[in-house]
Amino acid sequence: MSASVRSMSWTVCRAARVAYRAFNPATRSLSTGACLRTESNPAEGSRGFIESTEEFRFVERLVPPSRIPTPPKHEGPAPSGWIPPSATPPSLPYMIRRSRMHNVPVYSDIKHGNQHSTLLRKIEGDIWALNKDVKEFLLGLTGKEPPTQVNEITGTIRIKGQFDKELKDWLLKKGF
Amino acid sequence: MSLTKTTAGKTIDIVKNLPRITLANLRPNPGAKKDEKHRGRGMHGGNKSGRGHKGERQRGNRPRLGFEGGQTPFYLIVPKYGYNANHSRRPQYPPLSLRRLQYLIDLGRVDPMQPIDLTQLVNCRGVAIQPLKRDYGIQLIDEGADIFSAKVNLEVQVASEKAIAAVERNGGVITTSYYDPRSLQILIKPVPFLMSGDPIPKRLLPGEDLLPYYTDASNRGYLADPDKVQAARLGLAKKYGYTIPDITREIFFEMLVQRKDPRQIFFGLSPGWVVNMADKKILKPTDDKVLQYYGNMKSL
Repeated sequence: MSASVRSMSWTVCRAARVAYRAFNPATRSLSTGACLRTESNPAEGSRGFIESTEEFRFVERLVPPSRIPTPPKHEGPAPSGWIPPSATPPSLPYMIRRSRMHNVPVYSDIKHGNQHSTLLRKIEGDIWALNKDVKEFLLGLTGKEPPTQVNEITGTIRIKGQFDKELKDWLLKKGF
Repeated sequence: MSLTKTTAGKTIDIVKNLPRITLANLRPNPGAKKDEKHRGRGMHGGNKSGRGHKGERQRGNRPRLGFEGGQTPFYLIVPKYGYNANHSRRPQYPPLSLRRLQYLIDLGRVDPMQPIDLTQLVNCRGVAIQPLKRDYGIQLIDEGADIFSAKVNLEVQVASEKAIAAVERNGGVITTSYYDPRSLQILIKPVPFLMSGDPIPKRLLPGEDLLPYYTDASNRGYLADPDKVQAARLGLAKKYGYTIPDITREIFFEMLVQRKDPRQIFFGLSPGWVVNMADKKILKPTDDKVLQYYGNMKSL
């Protein structure tokens, strides 16, 4: 145990030790400045600077990606609770796409502090069949059929009341 | 079925034969644009032109914001008090929960195979930092500590004890480090800074208020003694009842142990260097005095 502790103590904090030495002014002269003076071309050095392309890969790491990455493969739910869409779309008359960030497009909204609604977006196919299924599901959940507003053109359904968690779980169970 | 028999195929055929798009062919969807009212030109833009009836409203002479007609206004009647002194100069640290970090890793937005510092988190739009609003970085909070299961080399500015324990329990390494406001702005938005052609500045050390925090091993401060940090790791493991996995035998051990120099802003890039983005080159100074100012650092 003590041996591994000692080895851990040396190796884990090796870089931290380097950083610590660099910071401590007494030992700074010991750390080599050779990296900055390796290029021995006198003509270049006389300009006051040296050109190099070796470390440009660190600059490329700093540039943000321009596209949203596709999530890596997970078997079942990921540790954070994110569930990927099923590989084959469910055999239902409607389809609900994932959002740009790969999440289920169910959003809750409050207007004027007391008007609660839930928005179900990105619906394709038979939207009225989905409307019927949603009403059936919420009837079983609450005992009341909530009023809904179907927009065929944008493919959205707005439901009165806040049901975003329940609807998200229901859609995930279906495999969307 | 041939392509031309499907709806999409027929649409493509129609579109192929339509005239070219020019400025003369463009127009918005009906109902997308609503005309603005021309005030002072009759019917419902005219008469009083939306200004109301007489008084300061119509004449454009309303008093300043906050004025309450002579009654001592709210912003004067509420007294100042000591605990609010310099409230607008206090450093703020927007939180990053471990749950959010796990979510970002699960969706592939941040790469756990590289050291995760504030640049990577902002690039993947995981956090939003506003240095101009006195944000000095992010703080790692322990919401989601029980579901966190990623091995990362994390660099934040403040971290709670439970969050440190959660990261180290999974075999990761966490460091807290200080960035002064100028370095922070460069760190979160490296591209505009690198395009400007200025030499990378050296990071300043924390002031006397924050120095005790960053020299303390229990906070995994970047200025703390490495031996004390190791002792703190063991102590925390004993406190929370887990064994620290031996990361010396990891494949990514080199990556996990990578740390920045206290004067370095970016991994691999030393202060004093100028980056030429167009030609993909780095210009390094050779003058002695310049090198001495920037610290003669070995970049790693």
